[in-house]
Amino acid sequence: MTAAEICAKALAGERLTAGEGLTLIARASLLELGEAASAIRYRHNPGERVTFHVDTNPNYSNICNVDCIFCAFYRHAGDEGAYTHTVDEMIASFKRAAAGGVTTILLQGGVNPALPLDYYLELVSRTAAEVPGVTPHFFSTSEILGMARVARLSVPDVLRRLWDAGLRTIPGGGAEILSDRVKRKISHLKGTSEDWLGVMREAHRIGYRTTATMMYGHLETDEDIIAHLESVRALQDETRGFTAFIPWSFKPGNTPLEKIIPRYATPVRYLQMIALARVYLDNVPHIQASWFSEGKKTGQIALHFGADDFGGTLQEEHVHEAANFVNRTSTGECIRLIHEAGFDAVQRTTLYDVLRVFERAAVPAEEGAV
Amino acid sequence: MHIRDTTLLPLWEKVRRAERLSADDGMALFTSPDLIAVGAMAAEAQRLRSGDAVYYVLNQKIEPTNVCVLTCRFCDFAAKQGDARAYEMSTDEIVARLTPEIREVHITGGMPPDWPWERYLEIVRAVRARVPDADIKAFTAVEIDFFHKKFRMSVEQVLRELQAAGLQTMPGGGAEIFSERVRRRLFPQKIGARAWLDIHRTAHRLGIPTNSTMLYGHIETLRERVTHMVRLRELQDETGGFLTFIPLAFQSGATGIKPPGVFTSATDDLRTIAVSRLMLDNIPHIKAYWVMLTEEVASVALNFGADDIDGTVGGEKIAHDAGAVSPMTLAADRLTRLITDAGKIPVERDAHYNPLRVHAAGVVGKIPYLNSVPFYTAFGDSRFRILPVVPRRMGMLAARGELDAGPFSLMDYLSQEESMELLGWCIATRDQVKSVMLFSRGGWRDLEGRRIGITDDTATSVHLLRVLLEHKYGVHATLERLHPGVNSYAGFDAVLLIGDEALRRNKYGLNGFELVYDLAREWYEWQKLPFVFAVWAARKAVPADARQEIAALLGRSLALCGSDFIPAAGAHGRRIGLTDGETQEYLEGFNYSLGEREREAIAVFRRLALPSGRRADGARRPKEVR
Repeated sequence: MTAAEICAKALAGERLTAGEGLTLIARASLLELGEAASAIRYRHNPGERVTFHVDTNPNYSNICNVDCIFCAFYRHAGDEGAYTHTVDEMIASFKRAAAGGVTTILLQGGVNPALPLDYYLELVSRTAAEVPGVTPHFFSTSEILGMARVARLSVPDVLRRLWDAGLRTIPGGGAEILSDRVKRKISHLKGTSEDWLGVMREAHRIGYRTTATMMYGHLETDEDIIAHLESVRALQDETRGFTAFIPWSFKPGNTPLEKIIPRYATPVRYLQMIALARVYLDNVPHIQASWFSEGKKTGQIALHFGADDFGGTLQEEHVHEAANFVNRTSTGECIRLIHEAGFDAVQRTTLYDVLRVFERAAVPAEEGAV
Repeated sequence: MHIRDTTLLPLWEKVRRAERLSADDGMALFTSPDLIAVGAMAAEAQRLRSGDAVYYVLNQKIEPTNVCVLTCRFCDFAAKQGDARAYEMSTDEIVARLTPEIREVHITGGMPPDWPWERYLEIVRAVRARVPDADIKAFTAVEIDFFHKKFRMSVEQVLRELQAAGLQTMPGGGAEIFSERVRRRLFPQKIGARAWLDIHRTAHRLGIPTNSTMLYGHIETLRERVTHMVRLRELQDETGGFLTFIPLAFQSGATGIKPPGVFTSATDDLRTIAVSRLMLDNIPHIKAYWVMLTEEVASVALNFGADDIDGTVGGEKIAHDAGAVSPMTLAADRLTRLITDAGKIPVERDAHYNPLRVHAAGVVGKIPYLNSVPFYTAFGDSRFRILPVVPRRMGMLAARGELDAGPFSLMDYLSQEESMELLGWCIATRDQVKSVMLFSRGGWRDLEGRRIGITDDTATSVHLLRVLLEHKYGVHATLERLHPGVNSYAGFDAVLLIGDEALRRNKYGLNGFELVYDLAREWYEWQKLPFVFAVWAARKAVPADARQEIAALLGRSLALCGSDFIPAAGAHGRRIGLTDGETQEYLEGFNYSLGEREREAIAVFRRLALPSGRRADGARRPKEVR
């Protein structure tokens, strides 16, 4: 089939095969794919509105033992700059964030074997009890696997303990590319694709909602990207636990992988990934574009390529920062960026409940300032 | 194509048919929520013109001084004499900045109160002497108007003297936005729309192609943007002298018009590029000026209708002082990477958009004339990418290995015969062709000893003309090469034109040249053979499977056309002023299959054009004239 026929098939509501996905990457023009993705986006999420949430991405520790070559954030225990915050320190910072309007706290760390399971459980339970109005969105799959190893418990047991402490949603980071060939090269200690999918599967079964992510622009092939989307789509068929899919490009600054991949993928590739995800993932409700990970302008454009969500305002962030990729916004700017792109801005919770609608002003076409 | 905003469907129909969009259509494009559809329509309009090519130039910007008599609110560049920031470069300093690989020197600057006229001419002459192969693109209409008033010369005289000193093209700056309302508020000291347009009209008449610009994202309305485009389009209908349109995003900087750091949105930038491609149906190129747009938006804009990304740019002081966030200089490889990453072919160009270098694999040449349209209908989904290029340049690119295949002008094929494989297709006449025409003031035999202006686009038609003159009519005339772009034909006794230009002139006439000869008919009546203008060939260095694939795609394209009239040809014909009937009749005059009679015709022509073993590439080159 030609790229145009495949787009038409997706527009007719039919599921695409892996081969068809590959043809779209290789042959579809950017706007041909973008048009299909945009039309499909309005079926999933009608209305010219784009959601965002006010969040922050702090870290409790940068000590980590999985040594991923795409990461500039981690330190080994005893390294200069290595740190682990106490639960008190973290709760105090969460309270400050909540006072500033934050509703989601995406908390991650390194995989630090010195921390007992109780540390994590306390982080969750005290957040739930002491920082009302904030949704804890804590711990990637790698950390959960680490907790299970340290506590000598199964993953479902750890997940249940966290659930009982009050955790309801989990971030989708750590998926990178769900290809074991690539994972062996870039993160050989981080586990396999099935590890990530397995933790997500167990989490969804318990009732957690999670996001799914993809980091591209390193050593993966187009086939790996399609295999990744295929894995997410298959698990979603099984569990319906994913709220959103979030792709971003690898940032090489200060990482060992920088020697091989010196620059990050282009805006055009990002738009292609956003659109492809929207067309291929017919069962994931939201596609998140990011003003943060690819730049504000590219993020704005991505809202026309199938994304319906602009991510969080990220009051605090350290992982990209460690790779010399720094980008900041405010709630006001986030709303302005969405308005400029031609959408009403809708502030949401972690789980996509609407908090507040910020309507855009009409465009004065005939007179006065634009 | 899927269009979500159904109000755009009638516009899409017009775009496909190459019908002109109205000002209200322009407003609909600016206000539609379906940005992607607007972009996709523009991308299609671009593809029909420039295939997969995106142009860049190795250029350097020279700003001889920032001292300026004007005080414009939006400008952070200008200074007054005596300011700490003020500078004035000597001619030696200017020349010292130029490096030999430069292809275009862009000279603009402030308007100082006390420079004599001779100083400007001296700069142009010195630059011309230093980099003789570079094109000099100098002085905006605002500066030309300043010279005209300060030195009490007509605009025409100013331009003639600059032209004599070496100026070849003019930049498009100073147009700002064609609105008296905005002009009075933001730049009351600058020339208005009428003066800007008049100066460009005069330049075009003198054979100086120019660029055009629009400054947007300040206090103008969308209607004012559309009006601006319509006025440029009207002048282009009249003169054909604009090469490029460049939408310039307003840089707020410290100008006080907008808060610092507030730039146009990425979506507005993309939409403005797309709307300009669709509205300016008669301006060949749309530029995504990366210095102002940022690299990230510029690369996306190459998918929204832009086919030019400016160049390496030496020192971009004006945008820089206002806080443009792009780095000052991108090396050429960075530009080519940006273009490649956008999915396009990076093409280094000269000032007239002739390709100098092509940096991509799998490139198939396309003669940008109506008669070649039927070859390309099946290439859309293939792995090959299409580069429009006039026949003479196609031969040069193939000789350097930068082009895999194409319809080569017969003379170019003959000069590279050993390294080429024929693909079985050609562009040959049945009896007449109507697109290789000699427009003459007198009959054939009156041309003895006269000057004939000849197209720069191809060698084959020139050799055909020579063969007809010398062997059929026994006449010897002086052939002088025309330069690309706008030409004045006044000094010639006859002019040889090919392709779309010949078609258009044949329909609408060329003033002063009453006799029109169709060279293919002349040949046919003489030899009773078709004439083969071009043959499809691939370089033997290209892998055999790729050569076969190209030949098969050509066969499929022509089969797709079959007896049906193809919309792409109709659209192309309309762009050059032909009705569907005229287009169809014209195309029916061609035979695309390389058969026995065509091979015989090639052999006869070879004997006549290249007697006694003279090689095609050793052919005497006509004198170049500027």
